[in-house]
Amino acid sequence: MAETTTLTNTETDVFTAPPWNVIVHDDPVNLMAYVTFVLMKIFGYNEKFATTLMLQVHQQGRSVVWTGELEKAEFYTQQLQFHQLKTSLEQSE
Amino acid sequence: MKIAPTIEGGLRIDPETNEDWHILRAIALDANGCETDLADRLGGLVTDGKISEDWQDIVVPDLRESFADDLHYIYAAIEAAAAFQDAGESPIWITREDAFTWYSGLNQARLALEDKYTFGSDPEANPANLIPIRHEALLRNHFYCALQSFILTHAL
Repeated sequence: MAETTTLTNTETDVFTAPPWNVIVHDDPVNLMAYVTFVLMKIFGYNEKFATTLMLQVHQQGRSVVWTGELEKAEFYTQQLQFHQLKTSLEQSE
Repeated sequence: MKIAPTIEGGLRIDPETNEDWHILRAIALDANGCETDLADRLGGLVTDGKISEDWQDIVVPDLRESFADDLHYIYAAIEAAAAFQDAGESPIWITREDAFTWYSGLNQARLALEDKYTFGSDPEANPANLIPIRHEALLRNHFYCALQSFILTHAL
């Protein structure tokens, strides 16, 4: 009986969707110390990094405070809105 | 009105005049004084097609309920203290546990005042030129902001 050999060739393509950005927008009401406090509380950022992001919001009008998968981006956006920060999310280019 | 930190890490507010009680009761009134409520204003920032629909259906109602609960809590705390107004001391206590609720209510009031009167980032600018109703709103805004700063420093 002749031997048969089966060759299997598996190719895997991984399509990675562009990540989502969580964006905090500047407003004239929320206190700077409060914005820093909320960023530390929600993301666990240290005070120095949270302050850097807060200043970016204050000086540039907006800051991308987190980037990643959609489900988490929605969760963080919801949490920031519960804390009354003007927050939106958008897909990265 | 006197506001002082407590050794437990909260605040004690002692209203002394009718005007003090008036401005405290104005927190909830100011917070609800905007044509579009805060939940809708925040929810409107999420504009991406399908996500936006879900946001309006699921998140915005939750935000609205949470914000309303905070205002009800503050209203109840103020009225509970006011019930003893004639008996002498009637302090309002802000504990560490309810500090965020108070901060939220004050923030709602300030966000609504800003939306209505557009004080801008420099609310000190020419207060003498403001019409009386706007001037009063600006003063309340200053008071709410000061109380928020106390809460941030001593209770949150």
